[in-house]
Amino acid sequence: MTMRTLVVWSSLVLLLAVVAVVGLSVGRGELSGQNGAVFIELRAWRIAAAALAGAALGMGGVLMQGLFRNPLASPDLLGTTAFALLGGQIVLVLVVLAGASLPLWLPAELLLPIGCLLGAAGALAALLWLAERASGLTTVLVVGFLFAALGSSAGTLLTSLCRDQWELMRALQGLSLGGVDGTGPAQLALGAPLVLIAGICAWGWGRALDVLLSGETEAAALGVDVPLVRRWTLIWTATLTAAAVALGGAAVFVGLIVPHVMRGLVGVTHRRLIPASALGGAVFLVACDNLARALPTTGELPLGVVTGLIGAPLFIVVLLRSRQELA
Amino acid sequence: MSDERPTTGDSLGTPASAGTGQSGSSIHSSIPVNPLLPTDVGAPRETTPALVISGLTIRHGTRAVLEDVSLTAAMGQVTALIGPNGAGKSTLINAALGLLPCDHGSVHLLGQDLLRLDRRARARLIGYVPQRSRLSAPLPVHEVVALGRYALGGGLAGAFGATRRAVDEALAAVEATALAERRFNELSAGEAQRVLVARALAGGAHTLLLDEPTAALDIGHALSLLALLRRLAANGCTVLVALHQLDEVRRVADHAVLLQHGRVAINGPPETVMTSAQLTDAFGVETDPAGALAFRLSPSRTHSTEPR
Repeated sequence: MTMRTLVVWSSLVLLLAVVAVVGLSVGRGELSGQNGAVFIELRAWRIAAAALAGAALGMGGVLMQGLFRNPLASPDLLGTTAFALLGGQIVLVLVVLAGASLPLWLPAELLLPIGCLLGAAGALAALLWLAERASGLTTVLVVGFLFAALGSSAGTLLTSLCRDQWELMRALQGLSLGGVDGTGPAQLALGAPLVLIAGICAWGWGRALDVLLSGETEAAALGVDVPLVRRWTLIWTATLTAAAVALGGAAVFVGLIVPHVMRGLVGVTHRRLIPASALGGAVFLVACDNLARALPTTGELPLGVVTGLIGAPLFIVVLLRSRQELA
Repeated sequence: MSDERPTTGDSLGTPASAGTGQSGSSIHSSIPVNPLLPTDVGAPRETTPALVISGLTIRHGTRAVLEDVSLTAAMGQVTALIGPNGAGKSTLINAALGLLPCDHGSVHLLGQDLLRLDRRARARLIGYVPQRSRLSAPLPVHEVVALGRYALGGGLAGAFGATRRAVDEALAAVEATALAERRFNELSAGEAQRVLVARALAGGAHTLLLDEPTAALDIGHALSLLALLRRLAANGCTVLVALHQLDEVRRVADHAVLLQHGRVAINGPPETVMTSAQLTDAFGVETDPAGALAFRLSPSRTHSTEPR
């Protein structure tokens, strides 16, 4: 581990603390008033949710970019987020349809991440299956883009079908626009272990992912069990994406932009990049959530809108800069 | 065409002391010397069979890509695989690496059945150098070389001194120490190939399989790499290399195997394999009576990392 990596990691931890503290003081409601303590608690939960979702998306982005050996891969660009979202939306609809017949031991908080996980894993598995048969990475990216469009359209269709149930439609829309408002200890208690376990396990595969940067033939010759690494990377990516969607809905661009920036700071070695991207993703999403609450709009801006508005131009800048460096 | 044989220790930069003239310990010693160490190897290894491929057959559908291929690569020697495009050279190397399922046959290294070993165990025994790596990430060279130690358990070991020492030794063995901190994607093709050889050595493998490693190199880089292969063989490595350029085979190889239509057409010393009749039969060419251009590394460049 280099001194530079330690400095970057420490700076990110410090930055996370700063944006979290700022987050506690941002938003509607007087902290000095009668309900100050309640506001603080609600904001603390949402900050924790944003940090967890951001960390999950940052790590998910690194894994997908390692898996596809392409820095342009990310859960939202390749349809994983869209299908995680669709899985979550289907679960929400089923929960409402099931109504009182839903057993008590099966709370909706538990079902949402499971739906997201199934959706993300299904999309990733299908994409990987296609990637093994496609002639090039461009094809994979195009297919991934089509997946994203398909998942998003299916989600919109589902939402429009539920138009007569206003509460349900609002919940479906909220999930697709992204947001950590209303996140409580139940969601966090479920999301945190998922992110932690998947993150640690993904870190464990970091060295194999480094070797995979050389391509599958070279990696296999160097002793990597390529199908095994691919399978587990897929599982952890799906888990991270599902946890992120269940916690914060579709916060786009985080999985793309954060690994890209972190790669410039700590290099491409996965065991340095995964923790850096987790911290970077957490900082980015908490800062975006702060902004969503701080902007003078009539209602709170959806988190996905803020990440999109910031992430897209930022990514273009990063892309242009890295092209200039390469040139 | 120059007919200088590199085993005499000069034209390709092979130090005379690193040649094959030592004598001493048993020829059947099963543990080869570490190729990363200096050249004080003990035994003559010219005839010690290290890599033994027997009756290897690979079919794609009904078409045989390799048919009953048998050959031996000896310790301390460079064995060249030659043959026209599609003859099965790369397939043979991939099969020996255990990357392709074989229909029949076996691959043994110093008595161990390679095809029954798991990937990691196999990778600890054999180092692989591709024609051109697909690695395009901006990894520092020392980290690329460290990837060669993945099969040793990798894990946290990457952070410790043993890996760094092995990486430094591997880079020194290929005379690429100066490249350690540079990014792999910024290297020239010749430098990159040296680094890939270092990566193959870093895991401690004494057997190198190289798939047309000079195909993308200019003549300076190609000769430099061939000289390196000779030195590694002199230090006890077993080298099996697929080559396209026949003059390179004459320069570097102790033994040549001509593959044709997935079968071994002939094998033996290069001068007996590369006869006019064989070349005409395999490649549809004949030697030019006017002679061919022949080159060798100039003495000032013999030990440099990069031809100037």
